[in-house]
Amino acid sequence: MGVLRVDELRKSYGDVRAVDGMSFDVEHGELFGFLGPNGAGKTTTIRSLTGQIVPDEGTIDVLGTDPTTAPIETRTRVGILPEQATPPSFLTPEEYLEFVGDVRDLDEGAVADGIDRWAERLGFESKLETLHTDLSRGQQQKVMISQAFLHEPELVLIDEPLANLDPLVQEQVKQFLTSYAAADNAVFVSTHNIDVAADICTRVGIVADGKIVAERSVADETSDDLLETFLDHVDDANARDLPSLERDAIQT
Amino acid sequence: MSGAGTDASRSTQPSKSSSAPGQRGRPGRQRVGSSFVGDGTNRLLFAALLREEWRLHTQLFGGGRFLTFPLLIAVLTAGATVALVETGTAASTVVFGLHVLALGFGLYSGTAGFAGSSMLENVFGGLSLVLGTAATLPLSRRRLLGIFLVKDALFYAVVFVLPMATAAIPLEGVSATTPVDIATLWLSLSLVFAAGMTATVALIALRTRGVPTWTLLTLVAALASGVLGSASATLAVAQTLVVPQSASLPAGVGLAGATALVAAASLAVYDPTYGKPTRTAVDQFARLRRLGDTVPGATGVNDPLVVKTLLDLSRSAGGVWKPFVSAGILLALVAALVGVVHEITGIEPAPGIFFGGVLGLSAFTTYNWLTQFDALESYLAYPVTIADVFRAKRTAFVLVGTPAVAVPYLAAVLWFGAALIDALVGAVLLAGFGLYYYGLTVYIAGFDPNEFLFDSVRFGQFTVGVAVALVPALVAGFVVVPPTPEVALTLAGVGIGFGAIGAVLSSRAGPKWDRQYRHQ
Repeated sequence: MGVLRVDELRKSYGDVRAVDGMSFDVEHGELFGFLGPNGAGKTTTIRSLTGQIVPDEGTIDVLGTDPTTAPIETRTRVGILPEQATPPSFLTPEEYLEFVGDVRDLDEGAVADGIDRWAERLGFESKLETLHTDLSRGQQQKVMISQAFLHEPELVLIDEPLANLDPLVQEQVKQFLTSYAAADNAVFVSTHNIDVAADICTRVGIVADGKIVAERSVADETSDDLLETFLDHVDDANARDLPSLERDAIQT
Repeated sequence: MSGAGTDASRSTQPSKSSSAPGQRGRPGRQRVGSSFVGDGTNRLLFAALLREEWRLHTQLFGGGRFLTFPLLIAVLTAGATVALVETGTAASTVVFGLHVLALGFGLYSGTAGFAGSSMLENVFGGLSLVLGTAATLPLSRRRLLGIFLVKDALFYAVVFVLPMATAAIPLEGVSATTPVDIATLWLSLSLVFAAGMTATVALIALRTRGVPTWTLLTLVAALASGVLGSASATLAVAQTLVVPQSASLPAGVGLAGATALVAAASLAVYDPTYGKPTRTAVDQFARLRRLGDTVPGATGVNDPLVVKTLLDLSRSAGGVWKPFVSAGILLALVAALVGVVHEITGIEPAPGIFFGGVLGLSAFTTYNWLTQFDALESYLAYPVTIADVFRAKRTAFVLVGTPAVAVPYLAAVLWFGAALIDALVGAVLLAGFGLYYYGLTVYIAGFDPNEFLFDSVRFGQFTVGVAVALVPALVAGFVVVPPTPEVALTLAGVGIGFGAIGAVLSSRAGPKWDRQYRHQ
């Protein structure tokens, strides 16, 4: 049975169709890349998958739960790393992760172990008692990544996982995501970064105009192939008219 | 806002050639090295800030709702003025009340507009032109803040104070001098508004120079007790400072000059590099949670959502004292008003009923503080409902709001010598009305109580909701002094009834906003 199944999902905001017939599924062991430009409908899809908003049409199955009718059940089962940075919280990373553990009804000892493990893995041990507001954006992102995995969920939904991280930590996070998915879990990564998708994902769904327009197994494609596929499906006329300098910039 | 940002960005373009593509020369803008100089830049910044403020409000509230806001202020003020005059209140008392309101709003605007505090950063983030450009353009933060304050003073003088000034019409009746009367009152109210704003700015500027908060609070308390030491002194100060139009021309000009002087000095004193050192804290979350689990009386703090709210409040700028200060300001303004009304008319209300009813309004400011440091969306990454979040806010409101309002209420009943029955019924009104105002705020404004102040529809609903409870209680407080047992019992029943309505409203707010948010 699949971890995540989405069928003919639709969601409009007034006259704007943010998601328009989105369908895809994700299996255990997959690191699925949800690749698309800004405004393609990625965030609206994630918000639907986690029960934050109710779609207009379509069905969603997340680990056997329906986030539209039972959002709490869904959010209990999955880990979520939202796109937008959390507003300034005055908790320290230690307190914030305790808060998350408490809200998720986790065992106190397991939370304490998890805090130590994640702080060491992402290198924020020395910041455990610094107020969240006084952390750099990169440090904040590390804490947010930690909270998404604290309860070791079967499925983690991540919006731009590497935002604000330094190259070293980016590599660590990439390796972790790959190994986490390989351990019979699933990771759903929403990104507009082709290199990230090509680097870590096992399969990529390219999103444009609110739906999946192409799916590729990354094992069969190079980063350049993925870029070509992306340009073929996403606003291709405009993208291919870009000056060569800017095309080079995209590729690098 | 975007337009404002675009204009400002344009000025940063390198001027390799005046005919460079996309670049246009602008009169009044000169460059020396990497610095901007000249009045042209000030005008440009002022216009950009003004445009930003305008778009912030009109786009946030769908345009029409904000555009009708000044009209609503005018209608409410005129309505209240007519009602007060018809019931025998002296015109001078009404004018004084308007000045007290303008002063209070000025004090609040100074806090919110200048502090660069946690609240401001949460609301506007890095998008605000005034906060952003100092970091990206060769412009000093001090200069930007100076222009920002002038813009704020002028913007609110037009949007908020001018409609209030129109209340002069029913005071004097329409005549050939009406435009002059309105203009005079507007200038007078604007001056008081600016003075209030400047006072707050001065305190904040001193704070950036390391003057401890407790020293500033002591200074304010000393000044207040000295100035408001007696009713006659209050009246004298009020006529000179709070109501400039009643004082002599030199006094009015003196106040204007002093305000400008203090504002300029504050900007000079203000340290733009002021920043708090990185703050650390030992684990209070676990400690509070354990307290909630083990201490029977500590109900509420066994909820992680409540604990987070309390920690956010206590560690943000101003600490846990913010709700106390807000309630204290309300107390000071109302106390001054009562003193002046008594001095002019000889009527003094039953202090318990009067202060119990009015201080309940601090429910709005307390709830506002409790929602400034998080966003509803941020909780939706966890397995909690929106109703859970609102329930936690209500618990936090009771934990923080009760002492925040009880202290000024006790001070008021002791200071004004309330009879026991009056104090008791006032306490019931305070609790009941406080819960009612809270429920009303949460139900109408959801998680954004600060924003609905400029949404005329919601503000109108809130105002009517407040008036329905408050006006009859205040009338009773003025008419039956001290309250008879029958009146006291009736008012207590009214307080309990409104409290029950507030409980129902706050319970329904969660499901209501859950529907609105998830089905947007």
